[in-house]
Amino acid sequence: MANKYVGQRVKRTEDPRLIQGLGHYVDDIKLPDTLYVAFLRSMYAHARINSIDTSQAAKSPGVVAVYTGKDVADKVGPVPCAAALPGLKVPDYRVLATDHAVFVGQPIAAVVATDRYAARDAVDLITVDYEELPAVVDVEEAAKGGPVIYEEYGDNIAYKLTSGEGDIDAALASADHIIKQRIMHSRLAPIAMEPRGVLARYFPGEQELTVWSSTQIPHLLRTQLAIMIGIPENKLRVITPEVGGGFGSKLNVYAEEALLGWISMQLSKPVKWIETRRENILATIHGRGQVGYVEIGCKIDGTITGFRYNVFADMGAYHQLLTPAIPTLTGLMLSGSYRIPAIQMNVTGVFTNKMATDAYRGAGRPEATYVIERAVDLIAAELGLDPVEVRRKNFPAPDEFPFKTATGLFYDSGNYEGALSKALEMADYSKLREDQKKARDEGKIIGIGVSTYVEICAIGPSQATPAGGWESATVRIEPTGKVTVLTGASPHGQGQETSFAQIVADELGVDLNDIAVIHGDTSIVQYGIGTFGSRATAIGGTAVFMAVEKLKEKAKQIAAHMLATVPESVVFNEGRFSKEAAAAAAAEETSTGGAPAASDGKSLTIQEIALAAHLARQIPPGMEPGLSATHFFEPSNFTFPFGTHIAVVEIDRETGDVKFLRYIAVDDCGKVINPMLVEGQIHGGIVQSIGQALYEEVVHDEQGQVLTGTLMDYAVPKAAHCPRFELERTETPSPVNPLGVKGVGEAGTIGATPAIVGAIVDALSPFGVRHLDMPIRPEAVWRIINQQP
Amino acid sequence: MKIEGTHELRASRERVYQALIDPEVLKRAIPGCERLEKTDEDTYSATLKAGVGSIKGIFTGNVRLEDMRPPSHYRLVIEARGQPGFLKGEGDLDLEERDGITVVSYSGDVKIGGTIAGVGQRMIQGSAKMMASQFFTAIEAEAQTEAHEAPPKHGFFRTALRWLSGRLRRLFRARSQKTNS
Repeated sequence: MANKYVGQRVKRTEDPRLIQGLGHYVDDIKLPDTLYVAFLRSMYAHARINSIDTSQAAKSPGVVAVYTGKDVADKVGPVPCAAALPGLKVPDYRVLATDHAVFVGQPIAAVVATDRYAARDAVDLITVDYEELPAVVDVEEAAKGGPVIYEEYGDNIAYKLTSGEGDIDAALASADHIIKQRIMHSRLAPIAMEPRGVLARYFPGEQELTVWSSTQIPHLLRTQLAIMIGIPENKLRVITPEVGGGFGSKLNVYAEEALLGWISMQLSKPVKWIETRRENILATIHGRGQVGYVEIGCKIDGTITGFRYNVFADMGAYHQLLTPAIPTLTGLMLSGSYRIPAIQMNVTGVFTNKMATDAYRGAGRPEATYVIERAVDLIAAELGLDPVEVRRKNFPAPDEFPFKTATGLFYDSGNYEGALSKALEMADYSKLREDQKKARDEGKIIGIGVSTYVEICAIGPSQATPAGGWESATVRIEPTGKVTVLTGASPHGQGQETSFAQIVADELGVDLNDIAVIHGDTSIVQYGIGTFGSRATAIGGTAVFMAVEKLKEKAKQIAAHMLATVPESVVFNEGRFSKEAAAAAAAEETSTGGAPAASDGKSLTIQEIALAAHLARQIPPGMEPGLSATHFFEPSNFTFPFGTHIAVVEIDRETGDVKFLRYIAVDDCGKVINPMLVEGQIHGGIVQSIGQALYEEVVHDEQGQVLTGTLMDYAVPKAAHCPRFELERTETPSPVNPLGVKGVGEAGTIGATPAIVGAIVDALSPFGVRHLDMPIRPEAVWRIINQQP
Repeated sequence: MKIEGTHELRASRERVYQALIDPEVLKRAIPGCERLEKTDEDTYSATLKAGVGSIKGIFTGNVRLEDMRPPSHYRLVIEARGQPGFLKGEGDLDLEERDGITVVSYSGDVKIGGTIAGVGQRMIQGSAKMMASQFFTAIEAEAQTEAHEAPPKHGFFRTALRWLSGRLRRLFRARSQKTNS
């Protein structure tokens, strides 16, 4: 098909409504008689709850009901964890705490009132008799011993897992150098611009419950809520309206979602809860939270012989949907973009008195990329080699793909040298190094950081995924010729209403504006998996493409019937089915300047076919009427995008502040549907990396109190913190799907942090620095420069 | 969180010490104190209206005096809970007399939790310092008041004025010492 739209910088069709404030997020949906819910949350990280007195709250003006853990314990099932690992301990985590609070922010009671202020005020009237218990906060201490959160387990170890292939001991023994480093990945709060929100409405007559939720996974949520609340799944509808960002934090099933549904069923009224930012920082999942010990062996020339990563992964106090599975993704990606004969990861999942960790943009892969990239930089520093040369030395060549890693993966396609050399050229790398030398002589502190990452996308084949790794699509052409696309993916900022329409418009030869992409309503859209793991285009987009192909095949048969010929002699071009001979003649006419053939009995438009398919008078005998096709696409493998990021920083001697001089990124996400959307993803990802590298950290004190409870304390980067991004791409198509696309949603958060930290460490190398833990705040840098430990 | 500081009070050490252990005086002098009742020897139950910035609320809890060595030392143990969170801590107060001025040094360790910890952490040191200032200014006025006189009042403005006049006096004293030397 002609690519009129695919590959073009088509403006997002979502944006006009969003930038005019005409979109509908959960809180914009107003239903008459709605009641509002507010939560009392634990102020202790670890406490026994002896009793809860709700009598004053219940009497407060406007209050309709107050629920505690005892009211719901046998009514609403536990918060689900979909990860299955051998020996995994899964605490029975209930939607409201009954007698044991395990982190600050855990819901203890829910107040329902006629407005949100009355609900909030009544929360203050609940008194809880707490008996404070010693909290365990530090992940390594929790692993060693310390206070035990769940007495029945005897310790705080959620699971232990060893992964990787090759003889790691022999590989390290054969090395000329072995480099060891402790590496921290601090806890991050995903901070979606729209916090979570739930609206639930139960119709007692129909016995139907509708839940509007700001989620990334409407269908999976429906299934899990049905199980938790005990309502038949075919009586439960989940609607995902506009979602203001998720970053993995809404790839989950939360206590509040189930509770709101259940409360609506008790009261037969709509109930709403919109998360406050404080609640968002306390009780929406956190990301990262690993403390790891790297051990990497190399030959004198920089060839890597083996890589071991012993890591303590902070689960938090319980498991959310994928909590224990996140570190396993780290294990998969430890080979980075290098040939490493032996790799071993020993992960210890540890319970602490903190909110659960789970998927945050990158989900386990940023940790892997960060440790292997830091390790390669450490090799370069140890051997006195250029970090670029060490990387090159260990790249697999383009003809070695599919490339098998010692973590058990097959990288689908790649040309790592291609992306690296393009980035080096853009940066004028050798001149940069000369400039750096000169600047150092002048007393300036300048550093260059390089990251050559590879990531795992299009998650994933169902065999490797907890709850189905496929995606679904229905494409239909309505009698008036308008095209409806139903996707099981659930875009929440990615712009797939635009990019999926681009795919369909080209394949059907119709105008982009004649296509509506519908998602996020389980009563309209066939079952789907959702949007996460940079999967929506590679899997969901492919499902759309395959459905269109099926639909075209049917349309072709109808066209052949109407044109009184056989399907084999019908050709489809730019939205028009023609007999082969007529097509040739039409092409000739067009080339001589004539108008294309009209409905002359020799050709038919796809719209005419659509009408005929619905009228069903001129379709082949025995054929089903209508023009609709559904496809469930199961990918055969993950996809593996890659790229090179280069950061150049200057450090202010007086303040320790890090300033970006340049930021260069060459990303290869396979074929590109819409370059503007790709750039947007890269921009956002790099900005979140800047946050992680320089500013962001959820800080707990020794008793488990969150000290960064507002956006005044939890520092998210702002526009002024961001450099101008110099972006380029290389394009290595994926063989895994017919579109050749790989995915790009998380590349920025995966590729950028090692480049930024690498640049700062490089800048400070004259002060003897080889590694610094994130976030690298000005104070730490200033102390190094001024020799003040 | 560590809290420490010193305050100079223009009153004799005995008078200051007496003021610092008198529940009636403490009730008047502690900013936001709404109730202070003796429940046991050297143990009091208290209700306090306090907060940091917009995070305000009512705390109830216990105050205990330990290791009392009049007129130079005692140890304060406090535990309180309220809607905005909880606080528990202990600290030492040491009193020294120099030229008719009593210098009170306090140092302690306070743990806070709940909303005030997550939202107000940055401001707590400052807030605590301010409360301590208000408290010791009030104690000074109490210690300067004779037993037969009516107890002093401690409204916000009164305390602020007393604090300011104390500062000015100290400033002048420092100046005159400088010119003398």
